[in-house]
Amino acid sequence: MAQDKQEGLTPFGKVIVFLFIVGLIGAGVYFGFLKKGGGTGGSTGPSPGKTIDMTKLNIEAPDLKGITTVQEYKYVPQEKLPAVDPKAISGYKWDKNSKIVEFPINIWIGWLPIIAANHGHKANKESIFYKKYGFQMNITLIDDPVAARNAFAAGKSHILWGTLDMMVLFAPELMKDSRTAPRIYQQIDWSNGGDGIVVRDRIKSVQDLRGKTVVYAQNSPSQYYINSLLISAGIQPSEVKHKYTNTAFEAAAAFVASTGKSDQIDAVVSWAPDIYNIPEKVKGTKILSTTADANKLIADVWAVRADFAKDHPDIIKGIVAGIFEGMDKLQNESYRVQACQWMADLYGFDVGEIKKMLQDAHSTNFAENKEFFMNANNPANFERTWKTICFVYRELGLIDAPVQFDQVMDFSVMADIEKDGTFAHQKDSYKTVFAPTSFSKVQAEAPILTQTIRINFYPNSSNIFEPQHDELGNALANTTYDPNSKSTLEKVARLAAQFEAATIAIVGHTDGSRKGQVPDEAVKKLSMARANSVKKELVEKYKFDPNKFVVEGAGWDKPFDPGDPENHAKNRRVEISVYQPEAK
Amino acid sequence: MKLPAFFKKETKVKKIKPVREKPAREKPEKKQEEAPPRQRKAFQLAKFTGSIFAIREDVSPFTAFLLSMIPIVLLVIIWTLVTWGPVEQRVISSIIMPSPKEFVQAIPKILTPEKRLGAGILVSLARITGGFLIATALALPLGVLMGSFSKFRAAFAPIMIVGSYIPIPTLVPLTLVWFGMEEKQKVGFLAIATFVFLLPAFVKAISDVDDVFLNTGYTLGANKWHIVSKILFPIALPEIYNSLRLGFGVGFTWIIMAEMIGAESGLGFILKNAQSRGADSSIVYLVLTVIVLIAFLIDKLWELGYRALFRYKEAR
Repeated sequence: MAQDKQEGLTPFGKVIVFLFIVGLIGAGVYFGFLKKGGGTGGSTGPSPGKTIDMTKLNIEAPDLKGITTVQEYKYVPQEKLPAVDPKAISGYKWDKNSKIVEFPINIWIGWLPIIAANHGHKANKESIFYKKYGFQMNITLIDDPVAARNAFAAGKSHILWGTLDMMVLFAPELMKDSRTAPRIYQQIDWSNGGDGIVVRDRIKSVQDLRGKTVVYAQNSPSQYYINSLLISAGIQPSEVKHKYTNTAFEAAAAFVASTGKSDQIDAVVSWAPDIYNIPEKVKGTKILSTTADANKLIADVWAVRADFAKDHPDIIKGIVAGIFEGMDKLQNESYRVQACQWMADLYGFDVGEIKKMLQDAHSTNFAENKEFFMNANNPANFERTWKTICFVYRELGLIDAPVQFDQVMDFSVMADIEKDGTFAHQKDSYKTVFAPTSFSKVQAEAPILTQTIRINFYPNSSNIFEPQHDELGNALANTTYDPNSKSTLEKVARLAAQFEAATIAIVGHTDGSRKGQVPDEAVKKLSMARANSVKKELVEKYKFDPNKFVVEGAGWDKPFDPGDPENHAKNRRVEISVYQPEAK
Repeated sequence: MKLPAFFKKETKVKKIKPVREKPAREKPEKKQEEAPPRQRKAFQLAKFTGSIFAIREDVSPFTAFLLSMIPIVLLVIIWTLVTWGPVEQRVISSIIMPSPKEFVQAIPKILTPEKRLGAGILVSLARITGGFLIATALALPLGVLMGSFSKFRAAFAPIMIVGSYIPIPTLVPLTLVWFGMEEKQKVGFLAIATFVFLLPAFVKAISDVDDVFLNTGYTLGANKWHIVSKILFPIALPEIYNSLRLGFGVGFTWIIMAEMIGAESGLGFILKNAQSRGADSSIVYLVLTVIVLIAFLIDKLWELGYRALFRYKEAR
């Protein structure tokens, strides 16, 4: 018994041990559970010093809608947009009685809904704009972007046509005068096969363009297209030889003329129909990519002068709504033929030529505009497209200080129309439906481009947001092993969104540090898990169709740089490849 | 070497006619010159306008300089007025035309190393000179032949006429197909544009040589080669020189077009690039000014050359 007494704890000791265990459990519950509920972002958490009664607090509002893909912008556009100088006198031509809006366009099928709504190109009283909204519209042809911009700046036109990339270039100068600051209210279309890149046969993917010569029209959507692809593929624009022409037509001519010569040009960025004619007529050439696969890359919009928008908000809403009605009208085939004729009259074309162009653009209806202007989550929305363009043009040294997207984008009209419910019947039909497929099937053809993304995976982990670990291997709260993983995924999401119609392969890799020590199977599994975690994140955060992605684990068989296979940090990576849509 | 018979016949036909008609033209002009003094007494305004509209009056270099300043000053005043005040209150938007102040302030912008203005000037000058030399090498012999021998003229006249009416910008894509995208295209384009200007000018210069000189030549027993080389060409030379001077300027007017395709440097490239990417309009105007200034300076050099080469013309 005496021995028992010596071995056991005193009652006081037992109390201490009991309190210690209770304390540990309490601390565990507090740090492991309650702290998580408090949110990870330090700045958004409750202010220190205040005590919070967790039982009474509703951290998240009840969500009746369930899971939604849309997160609308919360700010008020007017508060961000640069105000028109109150002292300034509006600087545009305007006749109060006839109320004719001057809307110049270039040669592009995307403008068809406007001509359809306007019942022709000249100002007339049969126009929807007149009948419903009380103003007329005069649609003219100003094909040269510089001339169109000058007409806009001089107040001879109220509207400036353009692709979003053109707007990025023109905005800084136009904003020097608060009256000519461009306001963008509506997207007209996505280029859908109208732009494309044609290459010599030996070029299999964008990667092969390194060191090659590319010709295109400078400061045009072509320039944005090719350089955006180059940068996505990890090629510096300076690693390619750029040849400039004044127009896309001349670029195509230069490419064809150089065929078989010593200074042969390897690739051309141009427009339909040239991009389709060249591979048919010039041997040894093929299409590398068109906006049929990069179908959310080039957006056509129109901008209005800030002073005009300020003076005539009703007309702006009328233009937006009228164009949506034009899109409705074009559903009717006989009306579409009529509209093509009107367009042909304006361009001096044969109506057959206009009909051939119908496939080049996809008109964006109200639902798609809402996605573009108002959904902050959409990886191919206005904000992200604008930012990507700014990034590409900054890399090229074309702009110094880009204008922020919210200085030109105004979603108030779109929000207004949504409230009215006028175009609730227009659904977003521009979503590619992907059939389940496999990596080996997709891989049969060379990818358009491959992007190597380096998420620095923690050894043995496939978690993108793996925390950092201390020397003992314990995870450190509120840390990420790779602090850039979020922005890396954003980059992938934007690329995947630009190539909305394309299938994307995600291939995971591991390093070869334990070669010979662990079974190949386990390695494959880890690399596959890495690819899958990227896919999962993309699908969950950006709401992509899961079937858009195929995944593969390459293990350690394909080191990033075959010349330096021991560079383990470089080898723990994921590669994203964009493949042509299967239907083609 | 004997020339074919038709050359002989042709020159004979041309010799005789138009010589005596000329003096008649000069008389009425002299009469007009005498007119102002008569009106002077009658009306004061007439005195003023008369002194302005004095025909073929001698103007001292200083007065000429002063007078030449008037339009420039006027232009600057108008320019200042239409671009006056804050951006929002101007007659012409700053995007389309900068104010004189903005124009001057933008000078450092085009002098940055990235703009490569100095290199641009040299590259453009080299292209213009290259095009000019090729055009001259082709147009001069052909022009002399056409100006001297009517059958040559008849044969090539249609091409010459078509050439002088051809819209030069349409040649941009064509030269691209013919010469590719490199220097050959730019020089080739400028050569064609200069050629179509020079050829008719050379033909005219030779054709305008007065028949009196030919007759004198024939009287002194000159053969056809002598007529062309010792009479037609030397007498036409000052006029040919003037055509060359203007022809060199043609290159400057087309340099922007020439550098539209495949250029990575040059004044036209800098200007076009600034314009199409919507950059500061001052840059566009500054490059234009540089082009005009260089063209002006080179024209002055041509003028000096003219004085040195053709003193006999100056003396007259």
